[in-house]
Amino acid sequence: MSIAVHGIKKRFGEFVALADIDLDVATGQLVAILGPSGCGKTTLLRIIAGLETPDAGRVFLQGREATDLPVQKRRVGFVFQNYALFRHMTVFDNIAFGLTVRPRRERPPAAAIRAKVEELLSLVQLEWAAERRPLQLSGGQRQRVALARALALEPQVLLLDEPFGALDTQVRQELRRWLRRLHDALHFTSLFVTHDQQEALEVADAVVVMHRGRIEQRGSPEEIYDRPGSGFVHRFVGSSNELPAERRGGELTIGPLPPTSSPGPDARLAVVVRPQDVAIGRTGPGWPGRVVAVRVVGPLVHVDVALEGGNRDPVVAEFERERFRRESVAVGDPVFINLVRYGLYAPDEAA
Amino acid sequence: MSIVRDGPGSAPAPGAVRPRRPVRGLARSLLITAALIYLVLFLILPFVIVFGQALAHGLATYWAALVDPMAVAAIRLTLTVALVAVPLNLVFGVAAAWAVAKYEFRGKSALVTLIDLPFAVSPVISGLIYVLLFGAHGWFGPWLAAHDIKVMFAVPGIVLATVFVTFPLVARELIPLMQSQGRDEEETALSLGATGWQTFVRVTLPNIRFGLLYGVLLCNARAMGEFGAVSVVSGHIRGLTNTMPLHIEILYNEYNATAAFAVASLLALLALVTLVARAALERQAPELRRKPLPGPLP
Repeated sequence: MSIAVHGIKKRFGEFVALADIDLDVATGQLVAILGPSGCGKTTLLRIIAGLETPDAGRVFLQGREATDLPVQKRRVGFVFQNYALFRHMTVFDNIAFGLTVRPRRERPPAAAIRAKVEELLSLVQLEWAAERRPLQLSGGQRQRVALARALALEPQVLLLDEPFGALDTQVRQELRRWLRRLHDALHFTSLFVTHDQQEALEVADAVVVMHRGRIEQRGSPEEIYDRPGSGFVHRFVGSSNELPAERRGGELTIGPLPPTSSPGPDARLAVVVRPQDVAIGRTGPGWPGRVVAVRVVGPLVHVDVALEGGNRDPVVAEFERERFRRESVAVGDPVFINLVRYGLYAPDEAA
Repeated sequence: MSIVRDGPGSAPAPGAVRPRRPVRGLARSLLITAALIYLVLFLILPFVIVFGQALAHGLATYWAALVDPMAVAAIRLTLTVALVAVPLNLVFGVAAAWAVAKYEFRGKSALVTLIDLPFAVSPVISGLIYVLLFGAHGWFGPWLAAHDIKVMFAVPGIVLATVFVTFPLVARELIPLMQSQGRDEEETALSLGATGWQTFVRVTLPNIRFGLLYGVLLCNARAMGEFGAVSVVSGHIRGLTNTMPLHIEILYNEYNATAAFAVASLLALLALVTLVARAALERQAPELRRKPLPGPLP
């Protein structure tokens, strides 16, 4: 176990940033902490790094207790969203920093430092930039310098705070795949914080979803997406529609759809359904409605359907372009929708 | 950038060159003229007059006024005071700016307000506060007298008053700068194993060096030029507790205008040096900016 935290609590004044967090990250894993802003994910990362002190709880790194260890002694690599490169130093000096500040007797000789920095520069493919200053580099290049700098001390644990948050979509996609390859090649343990579900689902071995200072769910990306453990996770990860439902006497009724059996106490519930799980048909049975908008998004088509008997937002259904051509629905068409698969949650569990 | 054709009535793309409208010539020249007249009348003219008066009776008289023993004593005292007050406020200013910019604590806004206090009160009052504290009938007066320590009407009093009056200068220069730079670089340095001192010397100090230098320049100019507070605590003992501004006043009151302006020209020169140094620093400050070069990865 490379990272373990037990019973971590942190408040900022009245605001509870972390309610009670337990988290283990196995050696060699790449784990994403996913959550909306203000959910406490960055605070958790900073506590693990030693940049913030928890009010309660313990932190273990490499199996050893690190709760009271100062940040300098934790030997974790930390990468900030805005890179935090030393702006007055060259790229070379930035990467060499961690080695040159070591106490004299532990410091490697200058030639060894040079060799190490050159090795890292080639690892992040920036050999040509050694003598440049951070301001002369693009965002993606800067983030790679920040990574190289963090890796110079060969940390066993790498912590990344929204590492690609400030980059363009395309650059971030490229960089996160590159980070995954780097992670696999160097065998460190990585924990990264993100609010971008795409990023978390795409590169992480495991995803931890946080909400209001608590861990909502932890699982593989597939688990998180396919079997969300709570209404919050279902709504936050992927896109979704929400419909009111009612359970009475073991039967669930969703609008005019035929009731289905659903064991449990009588309650008003919320049905959360992903757009690709909304089926549209020209004939019933189903919940009648009218197509109000059709949007082509690359290979997919989104169809908005305003349901009868509801003044709520239209339901969004998603198709592949091919299927959409066969069905050929247009704005204004009367249609019937059915729900292929959905999650059932308490309605006030709103995000 | 992709090529996007603007439809009619659409806003110009960012960075697009707009055909320049002829500027309203009259308003512009009026404003510039007004500003220039103002500058000449209130800044440049007095400056010229200082030097004109100083040199009115030739270089020899000018030189004699400067090497007069009393003048030399005043210059030496002014330099001594600045030499003590400026380093003190340098340390204090960096510490205060550091605390305000990089930490959250109770009473932070009160501290920021307090830093401004010397600017808010008249220098004469600052001086009087010291008389009330350290004067013969002040709070610490009897104790100081019993231990034979002279603060009032002596160099320590002048230094104290100068420190008080000039202490916001460095801090005020640094606080916004350090606030805008944030804490990330320092935290990164710590996470890379640097000690607090290494972080300060290798990361913080280089980032604030231009602001710090400018703050020190201003602090120095004010320390050498301070009149009001120093006047109250100095006692005007010629050759002992007279700084340059006080010496100038005495000479002037004695109708020795040439000598007064000769010494004054030194202070005016100091102002000039400060301004030139400032311009030079500002040219240095924006770091080299060049376009990112293409690399194999974004």
